[in-house]
Order: sequence, then C-alpha cells, then structure tokens
Amino acid sequence: MTASTDYTAQEIIVVAGSKVLEDNKIVFVGTGLPMVASLLAIRTHAPGLIPVFEAGAVGPPLKCGLPLSVGDSKTFTGASYVKGLNAAFELTQRGFADYGFIGGAEVDMYGNLNSTMIGDFPDGYQKPKVRLPGSGGAADMAASCERTILIVPHDKKKFNAKLAYVTSPGHLDGSPNARFKAGMQGKGPYRVITTKGVFDFEEESKRMRILHTFPGETVDSIKENTGFELLVAPNVSEMAPPTVEEVRLIREEIDPTGAFVKRVAK
Amino acid sequence: MFWTGLTPDEAREALVNKDKSMRDKRMTLKEAVSKFVKDGDNVGIGGFVNVRQPIATIHEMIRQGYKDLTLSWQSAGMGPELLAGAMIARPDHCSIKRIELAYWGHEAYGLSSAWRYLAERNMVEIEDWSNYNMSARFKAGAMGLPFIPSRGPLGGDIKNTSRTKIIDCPFTQRPIALLPASHPNVALIHVQAADMYGNSIIRGSDATCAEIAMAAKHTIITCEQLVSHDLITSAPKDVGIPFPAVDAVVEVPYGAFPGACRRHYYFGGDDIRSFLGLIAPMCKGGSADALKAWFDEYVFGVASFEEYLAKLPLKRLMDARAGESCAIERLA
Repeated sequence: MTASTDYTAQEIIVVAGSKVLEDNKIVFVGTGLPMVASLLAIRTHAPGLIPVFEAGAVGPPLKCGLPLSVGDSKTFTGASYVKGLNAAFELTQRGFADYGFIGGAEVDMYGNLNSTMIGDFPDGYQKPKVRLPGSGGAADMAASCERTILIVPHDKKKFNAKLAYVTSPGHLDGSPNARFKAGMQGKGPYRVITTKGVFDFEEESKRMRILHTFPGETVDSIKENTGFELLVAPNVSEMAPPTVEEVRLIREEIDPTGAFVKRVAK
Repeated sequence: MFWTGLTPDEAREALVNKDKSMRDKRMTLKEAVSKFVKDGDNVGIGGFVNVRQPIATIHEMIRQGYKDLTLSWQSAGMGPELLAGAMIARPDHCSIKRIELAYWGHEAYGLSSAWRYLAERNMVEIEDWSNYNMSARFKAGAMGLPFIPSRGPLGGDIKNTSRTKIIDCPFTQRPIALLPASHPNVALIHVQAADMYGNSIIRGSDATCAEIAMAAKHTIITCEQLVSHDLITSAPKDVGIPFPAVDAVVEVPYGAFPGACRRHYYFGGDDIRSFLGLIAPMCKGGSADALKAWFDEYVFGVASFEEYLAKLPLKRLMDARAGESCAIERLA
C-alpha cells in the first residue's frame, strides 16, 4: 500500500468518499464525483455495495464502466431492478437507501446545500446573479435517505454561514429534532468530503466539525478557508494520502477519460 | 391562475371526449406537431437529462415556431437547450414563458448555457422542484388525483418558491407536503419501439415518460423502431405507454440524438458540447451569429430531422452506436 505523491484534489475527494461507504449497504448515488467514489469503493473495500441511480436502476454491477449520467445505459446493464424516477425515489422514501451521496455548490454549518441559485433571495429568485442547474434528485435524497454524504469543493465562498437558497435540507437550523419536526425522515448529513478534509456533525449542536485533515492541511488552514466557524472533533487525525493503487484505479480503470475527475486540481 | 396546464377537471373532460379507438396513428412529425402543439401550451418533456429526450419533435417545433410555452420536466438537457436556443436566436419566432423543473444541465457534458442566459436575464418565469416532486406531480396527473403527498420539498426553500402546500398529516399529525398534479397539454416522448396504435416499449430508464403521457391531454410518440402490433404484444408487460394515451406515432431513428437511447446509441458528446459552446459566449455578452447560423443550417434550412441527420458526419452517428454496444451486447 504505497502512498501516492502524485494525486489531485479531486482524486483525494474520491478516495475519502469511497472510504465512507460501507460494504453491503444501499447507496443512492448522485451524478459526478459520487459515482467515481462508489465505483472505487466497489473495486476496493466494498464489493457488496449496492448502488441505486435515481433514473431507476437498482444494483447494477457497472461492468461497462463509469456512467456519464445517472440515467446512463451503463447503470441498467445487469441491474436487479429497472424502473423510473418515481420507483427509485419511492424506495428511498420507504427507507431502502442507507446513504445518499450528493453534491452542491454551497454548504452551511448544518450541512444544508444550495444547487439552485446565487443572488438575492427571495427578491432575486426570478433573476438570479448566477443560475445553477437546480435540485435534480438531491433535495429528495436529503429529505429521505437515512444518512447523506456531501461532496463540496472547499472554498471560503462556498462554505457560507447563510446560503442564498436551501435546495437540499441538512440539519436545518440545528435545533433539536429539527428534521423530524419539519416532517423529514432520516438522520441527515453524516459526512462532508471537501478538497481539504472530512467533516462530521457534532451530535448536540448539529454543527459541522473537522474530523480528518488531508495531507498538507491543518485545522487552522481549513478554518481560514471556511466562511463559518468550524468545530473541531476531539481526535482530529490526518487522513493518509491515496495509495498508488487507488490513484491508478481512478485514472486508468474508473475514469480514464477524465469525465468527472479532472487531471488538473482546481 | 393556479394551474399551468389543464386543471384536473379539464384533464378528465378531455379524456372523456377523446377518441380512444385502436386506430392507425402514424403520421409525419410535421403533421403531429402542427396538430397537437399550440401556442401557450404546457409541454411535458420526456426522457431524463440527455437520455431519450424528444429531440426530433423539438426540431420540428422550432421549425414551425411557438409562443408563450410552459415547459415541464424533471431533469432535462438538450431538449430545452434547443428550445431555448431558438428563443435566444429568433425571439420573433419562438418563445418560452415559464419553466417548471428540477434540473437543467448536461451532467458530465457541463452546465446549461441557455438556462443561465434565460434565468439571469429574467426572460422566463421559474418554478423549481426536485426530481421526485416533478415525477410525483406527473404521477398525480396520471392517477387522476389533484395532488400527491411527498416529503421531497420539506425543510428547504423549494416549498417557498413553488405551489407546494405543507399541511399536518391528518393521520400522523406530522408535516407533509402536497404537490399539485401536472397535466400538460401535450407530452413529447421518444421510445425504443412502438406499434402504429401507440403501444410503446421503453428500455433502460422509464424516466417519467409513462406518467407524463398518461397525465397529458395529447401525446406525440417518436420511436426508433416502428414494429408490428403482434411483436409489441408478445410481451404485453413490456408495454409502458398504452395506445389510448397516444395521439401520434412517428418512426424517427436517432430521434433523441445527440442524447442517448439505450440499445441504439450512446451520447453524442461532441455534438452536445459544440452546441453548448454556441450559447456560452452569449452569457458574457457575445454575439448570437454562430447560434443563428446553426439554426439556419440544421433546423430552418432543412425540411425534416432526417435531413438534419444527413448533414452530420456518418462517423459521429457510428461512434454513438459503438458507444452503446459495450452497454448492451447482443446478437443481431
């Protein structure tokens, strides 16, 4: 297990994301880096991981390679159950999804995500400064998967005390039982994976805290690049760098064309 | 006005008065669009992102022109990209009034340039939902119910920018979201196979196509392969959309290109990227010339989708076909 000395920020996100996934669990996989991380988990420590894609494929072996869409034909070949969007989200609402694996453009200290708009809200909703793609299935996964894993590139402007728009609800305002009171299901955000570290949520306050720093980062360097006050877990540790084999799997076997894992770190 | 397509009562009435006979519904795309798509319609768009988008039907709509459309879908890519591109290039000829959606983008192929262009200039009314919200709204329409309960919009801002109503569930006393049904005036659906009556078979993701078709007043089906009624009914449980829900059937091979269609072709990534590249510079104030030239050459300058395909290098269509063969190996 030789440590790699040549890996990008996106590659360490993928490796950290894969390690959070447990073998033999059902994970509802969003588009992009979550797909790469899930494939890496299946190729390494979690061969029994069961991916579900919102367009309707349950448990495909993904032997044809990395899907470029959550509705990709590759997610249907060999799948155990093949339907459409209603069926996939109904499974989640019912409680079949242990994890939801989603991304967003902006996150706050309670793990609420924005993938809708940047600008004034509510006044500027119809004329946003920057219009983002929209929820897709992320809001549904956030409201109904048992736990969610979030991937957000670490940037002071993206880790904000106040989001322009809450697309995918996390721990809401952090008040006791906030999700249950709002009518949602599931325990909410479990881990956040960024380009600087891995984060969890303190049990009482539901506030984001540093759990692992990535090589080259410190608690202080991460705090400096975060737009809200981060808590620090009692036993913060540095995550080991990706192994040479993990980097090779990502580059040569899982995403050889760089569809989601860009070669140049952003 | 609360309802943006048909009201539930109007949708019921439309179906009561419809000729539901099992008759030959084959026609040209030109006839189908001129007969079933009207200015001001709420148009339900089938497929999911760039999978089975009704691209051929959308080319024909652009050629014929449209005004004040409401577009409804869960996640879409090239379908609305083309409709919006036409509105940006030829506002006198094509216009969209309102969009009800969960996602507009192209996943691995990038963000939607047209979405940014229209939204950031306040050129369309927006109503954000999630994928399950939109799918459940079409399902409510298909079920003949005015609303459907869901947990999707609870907690976040979607409930604040949509017609969602949050109530306390009368049985559990916990909050639950109610979503209004969606009944589009017309559904545009591309499928793998159909017979001349409209019985349709979908492979891979069903997306929300059956629900949209069942909820809509009219449905235009385009198919890769028009097959006999005997073949379609040899596996009746494979029929995803039944004939009484269909008004027009048109055989259009490659009808979802440059999107993908399982068993037939994979994404035409270069074509998707190059079209996005025509609009992206316009978000920063660039000229519309390249976009106009594209529409002039590939849509207004041809009489049909087949003529558009004939203008593409054969290699690109062959590559898209080869891209799909790894996902579905089979004997000819």
